[in-house]
Amino acid sequence: MLMGLRYVLSALALQSELIPRGSRTFVFQRIFVVFLVLGTLVGIVVITYMLYTAYRYRDGEDRADDGVDRPTLGELPSVGSGGGGRKLLPSFTLSVVIVISLISWTYGTLLFVEEGPSAEESMEVQVEGYQFGWEFTYENGHTTDGVLRVPAGEPVRLRVTSADVFHNFGVPELKVKTDAIPGQRTDTWFVANETGNYTAQCYELCGAGHSYMTADVVVMEPDEYREWYANTSNSSSAS
Amino acid sequence: MVSTKLYTAIYVVLFVSATIQVLVEFAGLAYWTAFAVIIVLSAVKAILVAAYFQHLRFEPRSLTYLVVTGLLAALALTLAASYSIL
Amino acid sequence: MSERRPPTDTDDGTAGESLPDDGTVGERVPDGGMTDGGTTDGGTAHSDRTFVSGEHDADGHAFPSTSEIRRWLVTTNHKDVGILYVVTSLFFLLLGGVLALLIRVQLWAPRAVGETILNPAAYNQAVSAHGLLMVFWFLSPFAFGFANYVVPLQIGAKDLAFPRLNALSYWLYLASGLLFAVSFFQGGTFAGGWTMYAPLNVPTFMPDVGASTAVLALVLFVTSVTVSSVNFITTIHRMRAEGLTLRNLPLFTWTILLTVWMMLFAFAALLAALLILSSDRLLGTTYFALESPGGSLLWTHLFWFFGHPEVYIVFFPALGVMAETFQTFTGRRIVGRKWFIAAMILVALQSFVVWMHHMFLTSINLQIKTLFMVTTIGISLPFDLMVFALIYTMIKGRIRFTTPFLFTFGALLLFIIGGITGVFLGAVVLDYEFRGTYWVVAHFHYVMVGGVTALVGGLYYWFPKMTGRMYDEFLGKLHFGLYFVGFNLLYFPMFVAWQTPRRVFDYAPGLAPWHKLATIGGFVLAASFVVMFYNLTKSAFAGDPAEDNPWAYSTTAEWAIPSPPPLENFPGVPTYRDGTLSFRSDAPQLTAEADGGTAVGSTSSATPPAAYDAAREAHDEPASHASIWPLALSVGMFVLFFGLSGLRGGSFVSGAMGAVYLASSAVGGAVTFGSLLLWALEPFDAPAGGFGEAWPFAGVENGKVGMWVFLASDVVLFGGVIGAYVFTRVAFGWTGWEPIPTDPIPGLLNTYILLTSSFTVVLALVAAEKRSRMGVVASLVATFLLGVGFLVNKGIEWQHLFHEGLWLSTNVRSSTFFLTTGLHAAHVIVGLLITLFLVARAWRGAYLDDSQTVEYFGLYWHFVDIVWLFLFPLFYIL
Repeated sequence: MLMGLRYVLSALALQSELIPRGSRTFVFQRIFVVFLVLGTLVGIVVITYMLYTAYRYRDGEDRADDGVDRPTLGELPSVGSGGGGRKLLPSFTLSVVIVISLISWTYGTLLFVEEGPSAEESMEVQVEGYQFGWEFTYENGHTTDGVLRVPAGEPVRLRVTSADVFHNFGVPELKVKTDAIPGQRTDTWFVANETGNYTAQCYELCGAGHSYMTADVVVMEPDEYREWYANTSNSSSAS
Repeated sequence: MVSTKLYTAIYVVLFVSATIQVLVEFAGLAYWTAFAVIIVLSAVKAILVAAYFQHLRFEPRSLTYLVVTGLLAALALTLAASYSIL
Repeated sequence: MSERRPPTDTDDGTAGESLPDDGTVGERVPDGGMTDGGTTDGGTAHSDRTFVSGEHDADGHAFPSTSEIRRWLVTTNHKDVGILYVVTSLFFLLLGGVLALLIRVQLWAPRAVGETILNPAAYNQAVSAHGLLMVFWFLSPFAFGFANYVVPLQIGAKDLAFPRLNALSYWLYLASGLLFAVSFFQGGTFAGGWTMYAPLNVPTFMPDVGASTAVLALVLFVTSVTVSSVNFITTIHRMRAEGLTLRNLPLFTWTILLTVWMMLFAFAALLAALLILSSDRLLGTTYFALESPGGSLLWTHLFWFFGHPEVYIVFFPALGVMAETFQTFTGRRIVGRKWFIAAMILVALQSFVVWMHHMFLTSINLQIKTLFMVTTIGISLPFDLMVFALIYTMIKGRIRFTTPFLFTFGALLLFIIGGITGVFLGAVVLDYEFRGTYWVVAHFHYVMVGGVTALVGGLYYWFPKMTGRMYDEFLGKLHFGLYFVGFNLLYFPMFVAWQTPRRVFDYAPGLAPWHKLATIGGFVLAASFVVMFYNLTKSAFAGDPAEDNPWAYSTTAEWAIPSPPPLENFPGVPTYRDGTLSFRSDAPQLTAEADGGTAVGSTSSATPPAAYDAAREAHDEPASHASIWPLALSVGMFVLFFGLSGLRGGSFVSGAMGAVYLASSAVGGAVTFGSLLLWALEPFDAPAGGFGEAWPFAGVENGKVGMWVFLASDVVLFGGVIGAYVFTRVAFGWTGWEPIPTDPIPGLLNTYILLTSSFTVVLALVAAEKRSRMGVVASLVATFLLGVGFLVNKGIEWQHLFHEGLWLSTNVRSSTFFLTTGLHAAHVIVGLLITLFLVARAWRGAYLDDSQTVEYFGLYWHFVDIVWLFLFPLFYIL
């Protein structure tokens, strides 16, 4: 049943304009902003209502006995309480609708992200974390340590693993992140639209050098990249 | 509540089914068929011990549910975790 | 106690049967017009009440007063234990708090190499120890201080079902905390984060002895929690006052009930994880080693299977405090009580099927991600219901902003923020980016420390009850002001600076202003606690005397008795028979009912055992409240575990320290064993249950319920260990995995032996029921011999394997074989020790009138048998 639901959703999702698709940065920003606006709105409304209610019904010397049935010591809840469960229905229904529609909406993007670019239209880099750095291996077998070079505007698939402990490879500006687990391989991808230098970091505590376990991600003009790539061979280098 | 005779009969059943488990292994069945038979036999033995030796059959059902809850938790962990890496 | 009560009350325990329903408390309390915390109707406040007043020991035993140190070492009373828990947990709050401040100081600015305040290794230890201390040694124990003190009072019980086990829970908790503190001085404590991810957690990557000690400290802590869960589950189900059905249970007790149920199963899974980790660290198995297939993932599964319920385990008691204080301080009954409870039950159940949302970025497949995304959304919705139930409760209230309410009101506000930011994490696409960042840190601090906020409110709420004195209201409000400002200044900037990676101190310079703000907030928050400690310490000894019920509109039973309550809690047997609390005059009436065979409670249909319990309670000598053995046993285990920490790869570290560890293990083992023996021989009567509501365990006595509850947790422990084997084998390739013992015959032989020993235990019980002394002795001796035979056969088999070059550390196949069957063998050994004890006592004619002990032992022994029934095919045949 779950699988069926998944196919229906994915069919809907992939055809609809509603579902954010594009670079990792784009889809994250789009979804994050919607969540942030809605979350802030809901938060403000609920907290304001809560504060108002507390103020409105505050006790005071001037409050006369309002004839409300108050709890008494030693009473049984089922004797005193008159339910009131129906009052909860509107807010509950509303939140069910909001949360479920939000998550279903993002599920379309999740499927898009999980699918990733096809092998033809993208390049692949093997990433291996170690205490405390990152090693990158290109399709031609060329290996670099601490610097990942990629062309701008082209999808890059990463196949990530670890040589020792549990790490997590992430480039915050490019919104790409995945666990680097010894003995396991995780796949992820990204597109960098702007050339420039970015920093990859480790997001899982991995030992004394964790804070400094970084790598440079150099996004180059595609032509420049191809020139650099053509000059690499099946060997290791420092850059 | 239960006669010593019944206890003895259950003991014999347990003894025999343990033997069958090993015989099944040597019977040359397909792996997963043998697997199913052996696990089912273990489950049957466990149920017999729990129901009669631990006399769960004669206790309020709540005690059975209590143990089954623990078992379900352990199964959920084992099966979902194993499925996640298939 | 009579000097404390208005003369209109009949609390004279010897009142005749003609006054069964006197002392209905509801009538004594004027409705409305009361002020909180004051002494305006001075008629009921008594100046002679002091924190350390002498005890009103109706049992007439020489039980030391609260002013004597000895009292606190031997006490088993739930109120004493509650106070011990609260005080000790606050001590660990200080320790965890100091570490937090160190972290914040380090984060004042990005720290390049050489510019750090704490060196990187020390920083990792600080973040790890901070997390572990706060989550394990502060949060739950703080809540369980209140649970210990308040739950028996709310349900109308004299004490918990197993008072000595309750004391043991406390002492093991303290011992585990101290052991954790010791780990700092053994080359450094655990430094892999509170989540302890593998394989960083094994000696290859974290060789310090202190790291092993920290893991063992956790094992000890989990032991304490398990004992405590069994105790509370038995108590809350079996020892409720007449008329106090689960539907009518006060909400704080409800939250504790659900918490202990979650604890029972979740901590058993953690125990499985920790035992495997201990084995990897101390004995050299290779479950989590780098080369183990799926070792890293195995840890994340085991840890988060525990870890997610743990979130609710620490939060539910806070929710209970909120529910109680909202009702009291608004003067309203909670809106939609039924739904509130249903929502909590739903969350408690569902908490066991959401764990993989902590693993969305690992290599788990998309199907399971989708499934766990759905269950995760499902678990967020009931909380919406609870939040609104609390908010609507305020409508038409007479809300008094006393310190307890300010804290719980503030907690609700913080929880709303924590909840909304949690929905962000439920969206997998966003979670992919938030993983490992300060968004997560900020979110769970809003939720968990939001919970702490409510518990602090609980501390102020029950302070007058526990000490008999009022705290200073002005200082209380000052505390809240500082706390709330400090809290938000500390944690809100973390949302803004969310791009900071967790546990990293060299972050992007642009984020520095937010981290500076957070650091300032941290110190404000710390300062607020200084105010609290001053206020509460001073007030405990010199505050205004508190009334029995200082809060208007409170409803629960703890407010119907003196502050602090007398040792035996109630002036009679509490009952809600007439829909409101009253105290029936005395026990003889119960006995009369028992003899007459009338049903005691409306739902307890099977009365004979209840009647039996009641009769026993009435006829037996009043029990002493004191026992030194819980403390002695905990000291023994502390020393033993300290010694074991020196193990590495199956042998003690070399040098003088190795000798110290070896000696410590031996001494600790001896003390542990001796205390257990003396504990078993000490006469001690626990309060019986079944005098009122006992659903769903009516008709099963406390001891048997306790045993079954324990066995249910043991099912999860073995389930976790067997699950670890299954998972590892699946990761390895199921059918490519060669069983370690190539010959199934020794295993089959052991199956025969164990089945036969189960049969002899059955015969022992039959003999006991037939009152045949020799029959009992002979059957038990046969059981013992068969058990020894099982171990000898296993020993021979292991020796063969050893000579074939297969041992614990050879490979992951041998590791799983030796550890799983070894854990089972350990259960057999424990069973054999108990058997020896039973044989010795049976020889002298025990168990003929009272076969329960033999029966309980049988339950355990058959369980060990059942486990083997699965281990045998899994490790020998398949």
